[in-house]
Amino acid sequence: MTTLPPVVAVALVVAVLTVGVYGVAVVDRLVSAVVAGWMVSAGEALAAPLRAVAVAVTRQPVTTEAPDRILWVLAPAAYAGLAAAALAVVPLAPGVAVTDVRTGIVVFGAAEALAIVAIFLHGWAPNAPLPLIAGYRFVGVALSYELLSMFVLIAAAIPAESMSIGAIVESQAGLWNVIRQPLGLPLFLIVAAGVTFLGPLDVVDSTDLAGGGAAEDSGMQHLAWSAARAAMLIAFSAASAAVFLGGWHGPVLPAAVWMALKTAGVATVLVGARHVIARVSPERFVRWAWTVLLPLAFLDLVIAGMASL
Amino acid sequence: MTGVDVAFWVFALAAVWSGYRVFRTDSMVRASFLLLASFLNVGAILVLLLAEYLGTALLFMMTVEMVVMALFMVMFMMNPAGLNPMEMVHQPRLAAVAGVVTTAGLGLVAVVVDFPDAPVDPAAETIRALGTELLGGSMLVFESAGVTLLATMVCAVILSAARGRYGDGTAGSVAPPLEPGGDHRPEDDLVGDGGGGHHHHGGH
Amino acid sequence: MVLETVLLVAAVLLGIGVWGALSQQSFVMLMMGIELMVNGAILAAGGLWAYAGGGAPKGQVLVIIAMAVMAIEMAIGFALVVAVYRARQADMTEGIASMKG
Repeated sequence: MTTLPPVVAVALVVAVLTVGVYGVAVVDRLVSAVVAGWMVSAGEALAAPLRAVAVAVTRQPVTTEAPDRILWVLAPAAYAGLAAAALAVVPLAPGVAVTDVRTGIVVFGAAEALAIVAIFLHGWAPNAPLPLIAGYRFVGVALSYELLSMFVLIAAAIPAESMSIGAIVESQAGLWNVIRQPLGLPLFLIVAAGVTFLGPLDVVDSTDLAGGGAAEDSGMQHLAWSAARAAMLIAFSAASAAVFLGGWHGPVLPAAVWMALKTAGVATVLVGARHVIARVSPERFVRWAWTVLLPLAFLDLVIAGMASL
Repeated sequence: MTGVDVAFWVFALAAVWSGYRVFRTDSMVRASFLLLASFLNVGAILVLLLAEYLGTALLFMMTVEMVVMALFMVMFMMNPAGLNPMEMVHQPRLAAVAGVVTTAGLGLVAVVVDFPDAPVDPAAETIRALGTELLGGSMLVFESAGVTLLATMVCAVILSAARGRYGDGTAGSVAPPLEPGGDHRPEDDLVGDGGGGHHHHGGH
Repeated sequence: MVLETVLLVAAVLLGIGVWGALSQQSFVMLMMGIELMVNGAILAAGGLWAYAGGGAPKGQVLVIIAMAVMAIEMAIGFALVVAVYRARQADMTEGIASMKG
């Protein structure tokens, strides 16, 4: 259990999230161009996030009738803050974690659960029908996969004999969890797609609700919400890399580079999924989550338990 | 005052204030999330008290519970968004007196009773000890809680099922009168064709 | 932060819960009052565990049981609300004051 000095720790989390959010925006632009069959130059892709910021800054802010202004402004901040809190318990290199607490996976799970509240309140605060419908729909779907992430994280904690994510990484020195517990990573990625509401599980800000939870957001507010969502994507990617893909373990390259590569890889897969997998129907997914995915998570626990007997 | 003391007072005041605001806000969604805020602050105090696992688990559990609560709130409240001010309380004086008496009595216990001075060792492996206790000495207690939760799930499904062994759950359902002691108005019934509900009403 | 202050905060939370549970008309708000009472009880148990119990593991088990009690109360409470609403279309305590039907 190591802890960085607070100033360094905050700077580290902010730096990782800033680079990560920018990277997610660039990859998103590249993948969408490739899928659509357009040509996009590297310079254009690198400039795309900056252009989005410029557009957001110059756009006129609009509001709704009698919104809950405080919650509306605070929801993106809370969502981004939860992403930072989730990232804080993930060690980025041996001994380099903001706070590798003993209850790492429980803190991660709590941040994830509170993110559901932030997303719901972001839909509720504008006092407008489409965001509210999106918020409710999200809660209904989110409750069905919330348990999965806790079960796969507990399964990963069994061989490590610790709930600290640093200890989980160290337990994968010989064999990564993605091979030892093959069901863990796919289930965790489903949760990641759900909590960051992208691609197949975009039941929040989706086009069938004209933008849903973000339908009434304008300008900077919309930008803050998108950035917070990308930050959460980075936190989930880092956790996937640490818990299932061996974290910093890897040959030749330094530990931190391996961790960064794996995080970027998972983030790219998730962003790519947004463009190539169609959105699932929420009610079908909820039924599927309770009857298929949840038993699979139990199976994952059984596999992890049997392996460590 | 150390940093821990300052943190404790901040969390304690926030917990009490948000707990109070739960019953003073018009909006049901706000009420459930204010209650969640109260729980989050108590969870933070538990972490300060070195019960890290319990504090974090409280955050996790209560968040999910309060999300469910907010959903139910809006399903069953006549004014879910809280846009119109409304007062939905009864026996306010009795309730306030009961609350004050409870606080005073328990506060007196807290101040007067001489509790043993046995602080927890900060270096102790409290989480590991809890796990060993749950699956060791207290296994029967722990498993009983699990079985009770299972029974709860079965009961909840039976109680809330739309169709039971005695037929439709809404059979004979009648709307309550608008005023206490007022007449039943069949047009308020949500099920049946108005007259049907009234017929059942008379049969009881 | 000493044991007395923790217990006092817990007592205040419990008192607010009692006030809320007795004064609210809506079933769901009433349950919130009960939840707040359990919240105070959890805080008191945590405080006693940390200052007077010497960190005995059974103290933590007590808190876990309190959390289970809260979950059970929520589940059965909401199921009853649904059942009562189906039968009486009432979501307030006065709505089922009489057993006349």
